[in-house]
Amino acid sequence: MPWWTRAFATTERKERSVSAGALAWARLCRHRLAIFGGIVILILAFAAAFAPYISPYDPARSNLRLRFGAPSLKPPPDPRAFPRCTRPRGILGWPCGVHPFGTDDLGRDILTRVLYGGRVSLCVGFTAALGSTLLGGLLGAVAAYVGGWADAGMSRFTDTMLAIPQFPLLLILSGLLASRELPLAVHLSELLGAAKSIVVIVFVITVLSWMPAFRLVRGEVLSLKEREFALAVKAIGASPARIILRHLIPNAFHLLIVQSTLMVGEAILIESGLSFLGLGIQPPAVSWGNMLSRAQEFLYYPNGIYIALFPGIFIFLTVLCFNFVGDGLRDALDPRFAHRV
Amino acid sequence: MDPWGREANPPPGLVSHPRVFAFLVRRLLSAVPALFLLSLVIYALLALKPGDPLDELRFGNPGFTFEDYQRLVKLYGLDKPWYLRYWYWLGRALRGDFGPSRRYGMPAAEFIFRHRLPNTLLLSGLAMVAAFVVAVPAGVICALRPHSLLDYTVATLNFLGISVPVFWLGIMLIWIFSVRLGWLPAGSMGTPGLEAESGWAYLVDRLRHLVLPVFALSAIQMATWTRFMRSSMLEVINQEFIRTARAKGLSERYVVLKHALRNALLPIITLVALAIPGIFSGAVLTETVFNWPGMGRAIYDAILANDFNVSMVALMFISTLILLFNILADVAYALVDPRIRYD
Repeated sequence: MPWWTRAFATTERKERSVSAGALAWARLCRHRLAIFGGIVILILAFAAAFAPYISPYDPARSNLRLRFGAPSLKPPPDPRAFPRCTRPRGILGWPCGVHPFGTDDLGRDILTRVLYGGRVSLCVGFTAALGSTLLGGLLGAVAAYVGGWADAGMSRFTDTMLAIPQFPLLLILSGLLASRELPLAVHLSELLGAAKSIVVIVFVITVLSWMPAFRLVRGEVLSLKEREFALAVKAIGASPARIILRHLIPNAFHLLIVQSTLMVGEAILIESGLSFLGLGIQPPAVSWGNMLSRAQEFLYYPNGIYIALFPGIFIFLTVLCFNFVGDGLRDALDPRFAHRV
Repeated sequence: MDPWGREANPPPGLVSHPRVFAFLVRRLLSAVPALFLLSLVIYALLALKPGDPLDELRFGNPGFTFEDYQRLVKLYGLDKPWYLRYWYWLGRALRGDFGPSRRYGMPAAEFIFRHRLPNTLLLSGLAMVAAFVVAVPAGVICALRPHSLLDYTVATLNFLGISVPVFWLGIMLIWIFSVRLGWLPAGSMGTPGLEAESGWAYLVDRLRHLVLPVFALSAIQMATWTRFMRSSMLEVINQEFIRTARAKGLSERYVVLKHALRNALLPIITLVALAIPGIFSGAVLTETVFNWPGMGRAIYDAILANDFNVSMVALMFISTLILLFNILADVAYALVDPRIRYD
């Protein structure tokens, strides 16, 4: 092909249409805070997952010679104060005896506990957010699609759920499931052992926070089900379950993604608040919230502040990053919002 | 038809008011069964929770025999199934008798409304006022200079505000201002024994005790409202009627304060209305950190101590308020925006 043809051949060049996903990804990448948040969350998740390899300590083993240790990168001068380690050195070169975040009231390494606590807190956040969004989304889609009295009844029920003061109900429910007298609760503790409080918390948060997702998805599906594609699928003879699951919910998926991302932060905050009050994650398991539950007692001790400072910073940072990512995702997936907030 | 050929429409507000009134009545009526259902569910959950109101007596008093326990169980009707107890409770509650608090030795309603509600109103009310007073100007200023350095700073602060765990913020505030600097007290409502002092010293002491909890409690609301105010103001400020007002030669100050702000405040008013029940329900985390004897703490203690009557009266009071303010917010919307139809 001679150069003049090539120079003017605009029609011959391959036109590649950009998919909606690629567009959204490009918009997300422009949101610098969302990228920052995503990277931090990934680092935290990896650090939590590989906690036993990163840290040389056992998160539960106390060391009464080294209570309220200050954060330092040098091992203690007194060899008797050395903790008993599970390994001489973590994979990132963290030697036994060094406490970068100090030690708590029982001489346990705070950074190690933060890493192990991150496993529980992040898991609770992810599962509860996923559960509540799916539950709310599914109920909302069904209510909107079926319509009539089912819709009216479910919407009323949602309004009533929203009218219940949330925190007291969280307290009642977690107290109920933590008891040793209720047959269901006893069965649960036999089944799950030390992890029971984690499952209970996830369940309680899920049951009490599906309402926003219900409202979002119901509103979206109400308008979606009147569109041509939905009518066409119906005309072909697809079953209601298929229409809802394969056609309506995927089209409302961007709402679910944003809602679940923001919900992770929310769930982590709820979990930490409950654990702070002593009703959430129970002590053999570590979470950021229950590390804080007795922290206020030690404010007047020398170096006592670090017990409160570090777990709180990690809750703060994680929730902040999930909010950044959620905000970025909303801008990216729902362009109507992009210029508003 | 008027001389310009338009349909003569009566002002919409006048037409919609009777319908809004009917809507209000219907919503209020439909809230009644919801409240009954709610009370049933809450009572059932409380009753199913292990333990009973006598636990504290039983474990706290060595002279308390099993016979005493059985006698009291019979006396208080705790041997009856929960639905019967609920039925008795409902009958008495409808006559205004919410039963005694076994823990505090006074009627549950008196304990909640006289001893706890005023404290919570003071703390949460001040926090809400503080949040509103800061959020509205901050949101307006950010909307007037979008994408400026100030706007980004405030946006960052907002993100921090909605992400911070409130109890941790409280602990950090106590550590900085009370433990390290020693400027402010670490908790409780006032220095004991100062009630007898002169009015001024007492007032200053009470105010000093309020500073930290009010700041901690208002952080989230401040952040959310600032964000809403900014986006609401941005939407209004780009509309035609603002351009018209500017074109008329009105001063920028007048345009912003009289034309834009009034319209931009409407969505915020709804948010504020929906937040008002929160003033009454208190904040258990903040009250726990600052040792503030308020509603949130009272409900928490009552639930843990199985003090059913106190939990019920407090929870029902708050639920009623939430339902009521939800309805009021909808009605306020109708009064403000005639385009909304109710049928």
